[in-house]
Amino acid sequence: MEGVKIIDSRGAACPGPITDLARAYRNSKVGDVFELWATDKGVRADTQAWATKTGNEITEVKEDPEKIVIRIKINKR
Amino acid sequence: MKKVLIIGGGGGGLITANHLDTNEYDVTVVDKSDLHFYQPWFLYIAFKGSKRKISRPIGSLVKPGVHFVQDEINTINLDERKVYGSKKGIYNYDYLVIATGTTPDPDSIPGLRQTYDEYGDYHTSVWNSAKLWSHISKFKGGTIAIGQASATCKCPPSLLEGAFLLEEHLRKVGLREKSKIVFFTPFPRAYSAEPMNHVVEPFVKERGIEVMPFFDVDTVDGANKTINSLEGDSLKYDLPIIVPPCKGPKIKIIPETVQDEDRFIKADKKYMKIVGYDDAFAVGDCNTLPTSKTGVTAHLEAMAVSEIIQGRYGEFDGRINCPFDTAYGKATFVIADYNNPVAPYPPTKVKHFMKMTMARIYWMTLMGTADPIFEQFFNYTRPEKLNKKYVISEQS
Ligand SMILES: Cc1cc2nc3c(=O)[nH]c(=O)nc-3n(C[C@H](O)[C@H](O)[C@H](O)COP(=O)(O)OP(=O)(O)OC[C@H]3O[C@@H](n4cnc5c(N)ncnc54)[C@H](O)[C@@H]3O)c2cc1C
Repeated sequence: MEGVKIIDSRGAACPGPITDLARAYRNSKVGDVFELWATDKGVRADTQAWATKTGNEITEVKEDPEKIVIRIKINKR
Repeated sequence: MKKVLIIGGGGGGLITANHLDTNEYDVTVVDKSDLHFYQPWFLYIAFKGSKRKISRPIGSLVKPGVHFVQDEINTINLDERKVYGSKKGIYNYDYLVIATGTTPDPDSIPGLRQTYDEYGDYHTSVWNSAKLWSHISKFKGGTIAIGQASATCKCPPSLLEGAFLLEEHLRKVGLREKSKIVFFTPFPRAYSAEPMNHVVEPFVKERGIEVMPFFDVDTVDGANKTINSLEGDSLKYDLPIIVPPCKGPKIKIIPETVQDEDRFIKADKKYMKIVGYDDAFAVGDCNTLPTSKTGVTAHLEAMAVSEIIQGRYGEFDGRINCPFDTAYGKATFVIADYNNPVAPYPPTKVKHFMKMTMARIYWMTLMGTADPIFEQFFNYTRPEKLNKKYVISEQS
């Protein structure tokens, strides 16, 4: 498996983690795997809506005291 | 005397320079331009045809003792502490502050360059804003597509402010019924941060502005007057208003690992130190801090950096404070910091007055003479306080 690209958006509240995700998506290719790290609570719902809209896949969501980690597989680009 | 070299005479660079003790430090500001612009006013040039003069010579905005040199920097070697200018040779430093803002990049999106050259925008210069106004003032009706081409942009509220001011203008000149405004955005909703979206979305709906969320511009097809998104949507327009993607400075930095793929400079989020260096800082829009790219953040980061350089404690807490003109004489502020989310702060006439006052006292803020007023205001509007006072109820 290729390396996972970590997108560290911890602390970002405005414009928020979707900025970093969208930026990474623009530079991505099919098969890439992202791990989005965030503290903003809205990130789960926003990333889900983003994945549905773009046809990409959330493969895992974890939460620890410091961060929410969302793993995303790029299936469409 | 220790030498402090500051690249960029925008808000970040000037505030750093003006907070340093020139009896103790030899301070030089280098900028490729001899003028500093008050960028928030681009909105009023583009959507109201304002003719107000919004530039002043950088040389007149530094305090006595600070040197200003007009030169374009093309290379920085952080390991050798050397900076290379295109005109005036090599600069050395003990401390380096990079405050070069963002660079618009219309060429990174196929078809955008032609549209940008023809129609201008409301984000990148006085001339582009005036160009856009010339199209808006001649507009007779049809569909206006307005938004940011990609996710990284300065001043997050300014995008929707543009749509609001446009709507107000069209209504004023009697064209509102003959026109459709489509606001496209890479974010899930009209305003990226949910709590503030909650505040402004009713205006968006009530004023009939259509929103296309998750719309990152992939290509612009000028011949067919269509914008296509990475997410697979298309949007037809009669008048395109597209803010181009923002990138970091066009400067070669050694080592290149300090820049990300869009050339923004990696710096730590509290002390703005460039990763791996104790004597070099990146302040304002040019850095990768997880906060909004705004004048206020550039200001607060610059104040912290000037403290650190002078051997005192300084820290940036992520505070943002973006004025948000919701048109028809009202405004609000987007307020948050690293530990507190954006508060749902409602628009009022008083806040609009404050935004307009800021435009008048801006030049004072660069000198640091308005610092006590800001301190009071920032304390009074701390995000944790506002989040307690303004709570979004589940039903609303
Ligand atoms: C429409 C609009 C509305 C806005 N509204 C607000 C608002 O209401 N409130 C707010 O806080 N912020 C607002 N902003 C954002 C604010 O203007 C910027 O965030 C702020 O100017 C950033 O300051 P800076 O010092 O980082 O960069 P800048 O002010 O952009 O300055 C960078 C300087 O570096 C110089 N430079 C660049 N490259 C080189 C080089 N290679 N060599 C030498 N010099 C170089 C440039 O000439 C420039 O003078 C708005 C922006 C826009 C576009």
